[in-house]
Amino acid sequence: MGTMKIALVGNPNVGKSTVFNYLTGLNQQVGNWTGKTVERKAGYFKVEDQDVELVDLPGTYSLTAYSQEEIITREFILAEKPDVVMAILDASNIERNLYLLLQILELTPYVVIGLNMMDLAAASGITISAQKLSHALNLPVIEVIASKGKGIKGFLQEAIHMGQLRDAPQPVKMKYPEELEGKITAIEEKLPEDAVGFPQRWLALKYIEGDQAIEETPSESVKKLLQEWSDSGWNEAKLEMAVTDAKYHFIGTLMPDFVQFDENKGKSWTERLDRWALSSVWGYPILLGILILVFWFSFVASAPLGDLISRFMAWASGITVFLLQAVGAPKVLQNLVQDGIFAGVGAVLGFVPQIWLFFILYAILQDSGYLARAAFLGDRLMQSMGLHGKSFFSFVSGYGCNVAGIMATRTLENPKDRMITILLNPLIPCVPRLGVMSAVVAAFFPGGRGALAMVGLLGLSLFLIAFSSYFFRKTVIRTEKSVFVMELPLYHFPTARNVFYPAWQKTYSFMKRAWTFILVASIIVWTLSSFPAGVTMDQTWAGKLGSALAVIGSPLEFDWRIMVAILFGFTAKETTLSTLGILYGVNVDAPQSIAQAMAGSMTSLQAITFLVVYMLYIPCLATVVTTHKEIGSWRWTGFGVVYNLLLSFGVGWLVLQLGHALGF
Amino acid sequence: MDYSLNLLQPGEKAYIQTVMDKGALRRRMMDMGLVPGAEVEVIRLAPWGGPMQIRVKRYYLAMRLSECAKILVGRN
Repeated sequence: MGTMKIALVGNPNVGKSTVFNYLTGLNQQVGNWTGKTVERKAGYFKVEDQDVELVDLPGTYSLTAYSQEEIITREFILAEKPDVVMAILDASNIERNLYLLLQILELTPYVVIGLNMMDLAAASGITISAQKLSHALNLPVIEVIASKGKGIKGFLQEAIHMGQLRDAPQPVKMKYPEELEGKITAIEEKLPEDAVGFPQRWLALKYIEGDQAIEETPSESVKKLLQEWSDSGWNEAKLEMAVTDAKYHFIGTLMPDFVQFDENKGKSWTERLDRWALSSVWGYPILLGILILVFWFSFVASAPLGDLISRFMAWASGITVFLLQAVGAPKVLQNLVQDGIFAGVGAVLGFVPQIWLFFILYAILQDSGYLARAAFLGDRLMQSMGLHGKSFFSFVSGYGCNVAGIMATRTLENPKDRMITILLNPLIPCVPRLGVMSAVVAAFFPGGRGALAMVGLLGLSLFLIAFSSYFFRKTVIRTEKSVFVMELPLYHFPTARNVFYPAWQKTYSFMKRAWTFILVASIIVWTLSSFPAGVTMDQTWAGKLGSALAVIGSPLEFDWRIMVAILFGFTAKETTLSTLGILYGVNVDAPQSIAQAMAGSMTSLQAITFLVVYMLYIPCLATVVTTHKEIGSWRWTGFGVVYNLLLSFGVGWLVLQLGHALGF
Repeated sequence: MDYSLNLLQPGEKAYIQTVMDKGALRRRMMDMGLVPGAEVEVIRLAPWGGPMQIRVKRYYLAMRLSECAKILVGRN
């Protein structure tokens, strides 16, 4: 028997990932759909001699052409012709879920239904009989409680059984009102006998709805019909609405057969929790509390783990150097290994605990349903910046680490919204940057003035994000205003599988990509600062490079040391301060001493200028690598880097000029 | 008397009459069950002109006020 191809389809938040993770375990292959920025997950396993390829299609509400998820799902079903579609329906949300199901049935009859969340439905007063639903649809329906792993194996068995059937199943046929049926038939008649790969009726419907993603351009006779109808009042908008309306109406007629509603059911857990989580009074404090918790856990509490790794790396470095000495390797090589390779790789690995912890907390927030609440509360602010509420969490995470912030953009459905949020994330100063900033600010502006300076800098970064967002939308990433319309799913307890699998996958994929780049960059940095050997810092290649770059730096009154620090800071921002320390001849690697040394050789205004640039410019190589991975295009990543550099230096220069104009 | 959804207060219920606008937003609203005849109930409003939470087709949906303004509703 050949490999059976099965597709998992369903609305977002129905437990599709839960089922997928349960069936595939760690046997998943994660990538991107070709040419898209949506994650593609596939799993391979065997069930009693039958090889199965299970593909997790993105959660989607519909199969029209407006979002990547919709296009991917329907193209997969049409082009790759899975043997069976496992459709997961959320019992507590049955009408809207059936709406998607009807669209799937228009593409293929080989569908098996998994009815999930019966417990949540019952709590909301909704009783569904799987048996009667099966009878009404004339398709197999299996009750499933995905969070507990119940019924999933049976669901899969049923799907495999259908895939092995000879005759096509005959699911219930969707009946449109007379007017529409007439029009559908009229178009069907005008279609070529062998419409390439599309079910005829489906193609006719798509033409009627004015679907934008159909590559088959309608023939002249079809266009003529559509024009006729449009002239008589049945324009595209009206037809589109009629088709959607007909589907929901059809669902309405079926429902009494298998659903019972108990209107007097008491308040559900979701209602009770939302009274606090979304209350005008308590919602924001709760949100703040949760954000602080995430922040603290991921970026502060992880420090001991990060320390452990640093110490391990130092130890490993020591051993390696010792071995190299033992075999008489040249001193240069020893230094390269110690200061170039181990230092660089150590920096990446030091990241891992905080990234991993962050992903775990992020998965908990998302799986439980709370992230949608955060987006609801944060949307007003995001809207004023021309962004979607879902970007809120991404930016807040960016304060901890831009890599985390960028990866938290996955929930954004619109790819342009997503790209803008990703490109703007580096403008949020992450913890390492904040640390350096506060040390320098404290050296130049003691006491209350320091706090004022920090607030001013942070405010500036927020303003620039809003500005950049509008600028992008008007110019390079022209897009309609983002559509907010967002479901607030019922709360449910996150499952371990849904938290730990994705957290590990994301951490691993980050490490895999980042370490090569950072290793190479570290070696380059080390080489530039170590040769020629035995000369003062300004005579090394790095120093000479800094002097050459001082041309760029001089409008901002940056001397060669600052330019070198900025250059090296590109690999990792934390190192900027220690680089400056070396360059200023400070022997202690303590931020305060280094800042004091700086205070001796530049004015407060120059320090502010430096801080503005430092706060804004590309945080680190890891960010660039992650940006590329999430956007999928070097062109756009490059654009982001260039824009960022121009903005940071440009604003720095403006600040300097403003300062001079004010007499500082 | 017809008015748009964004003018309703928490606790009020109404039936959808029309979904205005066109393109992706309208399509999305329709797909989510906002079709003529559907009953909606306003649950709450986020502060400072933020989104509105409604109940439609027995689930919770959030939309910006500017989006709600495109949905005309009536009492019957």
